Amino acid sequence: MSTSTRSVAARRDARAALLFLAPAVLFLAVFVAYPLLTAGVLSFHSWDGVSPRQWTGLTNYERLLGDRIFWGSLRNNVLVALTAIVFQVGVGMVIAYWLVRVVPRIKRFAMFVYVVPVVISEICIGLLWGFVYNPYFGLLNGFLNAVGLDELARGWLGDRSTAMPAVLVVMNLTYLGLYILLFVAAFENVDEAVYDAAAIDGAGHYRTFFSVSVPMVWSNVQATTLLAVVSSFKTFSLVYVLTRGGPSNATDVVSTYLFQTGFGNFEAGYASTIGFAQILLTAAVGVFVLGLMRRGKRGEA
Amino acid sequence: MSSSTIHVTRQHPAAVPGTTGRERPRLSTGTAIVYLILAVHLTVVIFPFLWMAYSSLKSNQDFLASVWSLPTNPQWANYGKALGEGKLLVYAGNSLAVTAVSVALTVAMATAAGYAFVIYRTRWMPWVEIAMLVAMAIPAYVALVPLVATLRDAGLLDTRTGVVLPTVAFNLPVSVLIMRAFFSTVPRSLVEAARVDGTSELRAFLRVMVPIARPAMFTTAIVNTIWVWNDFLFPLVLLNTPSKKTLPLGLTDYVGERVTDYPVLLAAVLLAALGSFVVYVALQKQVIGGLTSGAIKQ
Repeated sequence: MSTSTRSVAARRDARAALLFLAPAVLFLAVFVAYPLLTAGVLSFHSWDGVSPRQWTGLTNYERLLGDRIFWGSLRNNVLVALTAIVFQVGVGMVIAYWLVRVVPRIKRFAMFVYVVPVVISEICIGLLWGFVYNPYFGLLNGFLNAVGLDELARGWLGDRSTAMPAVLVVMNLTYLGLYILLFVAAFENVDEAVYDAAAIDGAGHYRTFFSVSVPMVWSNVQATTLLAVVSSFKTFSLVYVLTRGGPSNATDVVSTYLFQTGFGNFEAGYASTIGFAQILLTAAVGVFVLGLMRRGKRGEA
Repeated sequence: MSSSTIHVTRQHPAAVPGTTGRERPRLSTGTAIVYLILAVHLTVVIFPFLWMAYSSLKSNQDFLASVWSLPTNPQWANYGKALGEGKLLVYAGNSLAVTAVSVALTVAMATAAGYAFVIYRTRWMPWVEIAMLVAMAIPAYVALVPLVATLRDAGLLDTRTGVVLPTVAFNLPVSVLIMRAFFSTVPRSLVEAARVDGTSELRAFLRVMVPIARPAMFTTAIVNTIWVWNDFLFPLVLLNTPSKKTLPLGLTDYVGERVTDYPVLLAAVLLAALGSFVVYVALQKQVIGGLTSGAIKQ
């Protein structure tokens, strides 16, 4: 085949590729890339969202550095991510192992139940848990009264000290099902012969889990950890519907704080600064977590 | 698809590590503890839903008198009230419209793009792929302020179309990757045969590839349906007129307005959750497949 026919084919390929990709790329350019770049520009402005915007240089970023609510909400995002790694990825892995290796008889039923909160809207979940935590007729206080722990009863979401833990419990119970699902699929793909070998070696479940199952699905552990971290920084609906970020910003995450700043206080410029800083920080955390896991893997091998 | 069905799921009791092969106890202490932990945990997960179901049938006095008790005199009228006052059917109609249009657009564009990623090797393709991967990690709220301004300038603020457009854009990257993963399993020879046939690239795609890709397109559609139907952020910021609101948004409005008759509120929440639940029960296998491929990216 001569070079000219190859280049003709290449050009035909390029044209066809453009045709097939154009719609998706156009959508991403207009509704993701363009707003993102605009947010970057806006982050250097003072703007109420309507009247002409004013260039203020680094003022917004200086304000951000000293903004205790922002750092508090970022800290809450980190809490969401850390608890997600432990209680969604970690616990999900253990429960999936149990369902596949220890109690396969109830695997189908348990998976069915665990996935229910994943498919139902977070708004419904949040409204329902609002009832669970209600100080007057809540399920949780009702339970505590029933078992004689009346002193512990309180307004769980209205109390600064318990609001964030209460939100975290709902989040981790809700999304856990997704991780169980993913690890059940991963563990079922592990060759049975590997387990036979472990059994011959006399390994119990504890050792089998840590020295066989987890290493065998390590790429899934990495992928799901990344998923958990990325999702944790995206979280909005559950916090919004449970507490709106309150009481007095105790449960604010970056998304709810940005929403309040941009659409409650009409500080569109500063809201963009919050969002833009968030992207940079998310990227940093993502790289950090990936690097950590690479090292963890190497350390194990 | 084919490779994932080969694995062994059934296990021989003798091969279970931790239990000694010769005695084969029916229920070891360890297994019993696992059953117990799972039973408690599953109860915590599912009980609030069951409680919602039976409490929604109580009268308000009964509800306030005791949190736990079962309804003595089922108030089916609570459901009529929730549907009527809550305008849940209007909201559900809006959700249905937004979801149907968004999913159709997303699947169509993702199928074409996923195909292009696998078939065509051009110099700039890797850059588009990297851009898609980056876009996946970006939270939608970061773009929210400029999006509102853009949609307002276009006259699309407070319209359902205005919700569809960014929704599609933010769901595209993962959808493209699901479709790309599928097309990379299609034998190269099949693709070449379709293309060399002398038909145009577009015809080869529509006539040969799309029919083969139907299961993957369905998976993509399912996972997008869950995302769009449940989405809250875009409707919250972009919709204002009550008659245009989607179900999650309309529901929060209703719950905010009606703060006294709790069983009716529970009935409304249950009704709003029912659609997703019914689809999940009816299409369990596809939903689980969709969630799995929607989550594992890369």
